[in-house]
Amino acid sequence: MESLKKKDLALIELELLSHVNWSRKSVIWLGTLVFLFAICIYFYFQQLKHGLGVTGLNDYVSWGIYISNFVFFVAASLIGMLISSIMGLIGVKWILPISRIAEIIALSFAMVAGLIIITDMGRPDRLHHLFIYGRIQSPIVWDITVVITYVVLSFLLLYLPLIPDMILCKDKCSQIPPFQRKMYKILSLGWTNTTGQYQLMKRFMKILMVLIIPVALAIHTVTSWLFALTLRAGWDSAIFGPYFVSGAFVAGSAAVIIAMFFYRNSFKLKDYITHVHFDKMGKLLVMVALVYVYFNINEIIVPAYKLKGGEAEHLKSMLAGSDSIMFWTVQLGGLIIPFALLVIKRMRRPLPLTIISVIILVAAWFKRYLIVVPIQEHPYYPIQNVPEELMHYSPTIAEIAITAGPFILLLIIITVLSKLFPVIPIWEIKENLEHEK
Amino acid sequence: MKNSKVVWTILLFACCSAIAMAQEKWLVPEANNDMLSILIFDEDTQLEGKLIYTRSCRSCHGDPTKKDFTIMSPSPGDVASDLYQDQTDGSLFYKIQKGRGPMPSFENAFSEEEIWSLVSYIRSFNPEYQQKLPNLEGIEIPNLTLHISYDENIDKLVVKVTSDSLEVMADASVKAYIQGMFGKYPLGSEMTNELGIAYFHIDSKIPGDTEGYLDILVKTYKDYGTAKYAGKIQAGNPTIRKSAIEGRHLWSAAKKAPIWMIIIFNMMGIGIWGVIIYVIFGLRKFKKLS
Amino acid sequence: METKLTQTSTRRKFLEKIGLAGIGAVSAPLIVSGCNSTDSGESNSVIKVLTPDNKLVEIDTAALKPVLESGDKQHLQKLGREGLKGKKFVMVIDLARCQNERACMKSCQSAHQLKPEQHHINVLEMHDEDSGLTYYMPKTCQHCDNPPCVTVCPVDATFKRQDGIVLIDNERCIGCRFCIAACPYSARTFNWTDPKDAEKYKDVSYNMELNVPQKKGTVTKCAFSADQLREGNLPYCVSACPNGVYYFGDANEDLVTNGTTRETVRLSKLLKENAAYKLMPELGTKPNVFYLPPRQSNS
Repeated sequence: MESLKKKDLALIELELLSHVNWSRKSVIWLGTLVFLFAICIYFYFQQLKHGLGVTGLNDYVSWGIYISNFVFFVAASLIGMLISSIMGLIGVKWILPISRIAEIIALSFAMVAGLIIITDMGRPDRLHHLFIYGRIQSPIVWDITVVITYVVLSFLLLYLPLIPDMILCKDKCSQIPPFQRKMYKILSLGWTNTTGQYQLMKRFMKILMVLIIPVALAIHTVTSWLFALTLRAGWDSAIFGPYFVSGAFVAGSAAVIIAMFFYRNSFKLKDYITHVHFDKMGKLLVMVALVYVYFNINEIIVPAYKLKGGEAEHLKSMLAGSDSIMFWTVQLGGLIIPFALLVIKRMRRPLPLTIISVIILVAAWFKRYLIVVPIQEHPYYPIQNVPEELMHYSPTIAEIAITAGPFILLLIIITVLSKLFPVIPIWEIKENLEHEK
Repeated sequence: MKNSKVVWTILLFACCSAIAMAQEKWLVPEANNDMLSILIFDEDTQLEGKLIYTRSCRSCHGDPTKKDFTIMSPSPGDVASDLYQDQTDGSLFYKIQKGRGPMPSFENAFSEEEIWSLVSYIRSFNPEYQQKLPNLEGIEIPNLTLHISYDENIDKLVVKVTSDSLEVMADASVKAYIQGMFGKYPLGSEMTNELGIAYFHIDSKIPGDTEGYLDILVKTYKDYGTAKYAGKIQAGNPTIRKSAIEGRHLWSAAKKAPIWMIIIFNMMGIGIWGVIIYVIFGLRKFKKLS
Repeated sequence: METKLTQTSTRRKFLEKIGLAGIGAVSAPLIVSGCNSTDSGESNSVIKVLTPDNKLVEIDTAALKPVLESGDKQHLQKLGREGLKGKKFVMVIDLARCQNERACMKSCQSAHQLKPEQHHINVLEMHDEDSGLTYYMPKTCQHCDNPPCVTVCPVDATFKRQDGIVLIDNERCIGCRFCIAACPYSARTFNWTDPKDAEKYKDVSYNMELNVPQKKGTVTKCAFSADQLREGNLPYCVSACPNGVYYFGDANEDLVTNGTTRETVRLSKLLKENAAYKLMPELGTKPNVFYLPPRQSNS
């Protein structure tokens, strides 16, 4: 924040609003994304037409990369709660410029997660059955309830602090179409920057920040329960909830770091998202990774020591068998080594940290795959009397495209959000500066 | 390794065919071979035979005349074929009753009457067949009457066979069963004593309906005369039939969800959404505060 | 306590009854594949119907007595969900008798219109490492009394009935496959693509107890042939077995009937004398399928 103190408030406003426009570059970027997304949609229509048979799924591995992708998206969305809510409530000041980035990440990941679940359904045309016939004993009903709740809460947490900035956009941004100006006007709900309004907003924010903590914990715990509440060896684990939540913070922190890096470079925010922020986020990543490593040790050592019935086969193939290459690459290359590297200060500078974060995020995706798929390949009773190709799972092109779709959609949502609204909360920065002066 | 497997397979195959050939001749004792049906074959016996055939024979022998029997060794064959039709009624009866090799013995499953109905059904595919009847001339066919009761002191079903005029029938063969949903549980096969009575033990622990009634089936046969009883006798253990879905469980239907779960789910939902709705409605206040 | 006789004269009536039941048994799972009723004369119209084993048969309508007065869908649905009152179905599988003939699998697949790789009943080749024993184990849905698949279903598409049978309503199923993940016995299978002969059965109304026609994107599994039980017949697999492997019956009667020999025995005695066991009882699923241990090597 030191660098900002010398800056004029008007300049700060100008710099922070500079990316709220539809530049040629951003339109081309969005166009490319939409084109790629259309390809994925084509494959989804193929799936609608021919059924889930276009995927590599079978009766034994009936949940594949759609579900691991869903778990991954839910995981990444959890970071909004940690950064903007917990950090905000305990008054961590340095987090301020990246709190909105965390919220954008949280909201977009959560929204897309809800859609991924639909791609995994055999009968998406019967989605309404969930609301007509919903059984509250089913974790899926809890999951849907809590995902919807989390999306609404994340939306409100993003929206409320945006209101003052939208007024600013309306007044100060020159290169925006008239309808966008009108949208700001409607969405700002008659905001006029009065003290009463700020007080009310802060009160609401505080309520929502408290409320989102249990909901965020619930969303990922319930997602873990989709597995832990079954009788399958390997999923049947009592620590799956905290195991997933701790893993979620690792993935989410990595996602936020990557977003910070791109915003910093393409929106020219070097003075706002500084080396200090990367350093601190790096430290945060070390801390959450440490917790996650601890849960990993518990989750693997305890059953591996006992090697009881159904779990033995799965663990053997994971630790030394067919899945071992992916397992050790993910555990060592995607968790232990990056974690060890991040302890070194030089590694927490923007570029190396971002590269490490990308590795961690990719590993986090494969980690979800390892949790979901290999266990199903080792059911209690042998897989027999089915053709060889139905005994093992390998994703098809269509399936990979439908899995890539959510990522593209995610980028579209993040791009649109950051082209419509300033990614750094301007009024909070200003307020903070004034406060310090 | 692979070679030895092939050799073994060939050997096994050779053995099987040898056995099959050896089994081709299935000798029936002469007395049995010449045995004649106790029933007169008609549409009724064919219908009963068909029912039994569909349930118990069709899986191997296939539908008669269609030659869709299961491939095994020895081949079960089509019952409409000459292989079967050239045999005597007694021979067919004997083979069904005794069984051999993969052909199961149905002695415990079917009464003689039922096996004769099967023979009757098998014969219905042979248009040239003429039933050979025993010489009934001069034989008086008795009219049998069954009197059924249950003596709970000795846990026994008491079957008394008399003629129409209540004349005691000794030496009549009696079979008693409990009629289950899918089959008859045999209680035994007895001959009546000089008082015309046969006893059948019934385990008092066998579950009956709520009042202990069991579906009892009794058949008797003597000198071409038959009688049958089917009815309810209070001989079992009174049992209340519980529904498998009573109560509220996690696996119950939505309407029967456990109470604690309904309460927790709704409390949490209402609590959290209450706050969310409060905040959303509160947004209107911004305008007032401007 | 004395109950009075019935005489031989009732024989004809009795046969009439079972005769009709016999036809009823054939007609119940029938799917009328097109009412090619050719009126020849008075009441002798003949319709073509499709039997569960996919045979086209002609039946005189005079002989055809509808078992369900109202064949309407709602009524079928209601019957399917309710189940048979006062019954509790169990299956006993005698592993010592299984010769891997697979007649059960075939008749099951043809009755339920399944593809060759879809199994409601699957005969597995098992190895017991301790004794070196190789034996064949038919594995079906266990119709658990604490069914983990039913617990996790989000829409009541799979449910337990009062007679203990766990069924699927494939007009309700959303295809989330949570039940497949939850079943430790791998008893469920999914229609990943268009089911077998989808075109042929397109307009046939859905019979929940038989779970046909199968529908794309829904789960399917063993139904203990609920449609057959309603008619008093044994399940398809049970009556197809040539080796006497299966016993089936109502636990409330304590009687089970062998599908091959039709021998009826006491359930409790059969289980006790043969040291019957259940699959993975430690999971607490409380199966309704019992296994009698294998005795010798079949290979």
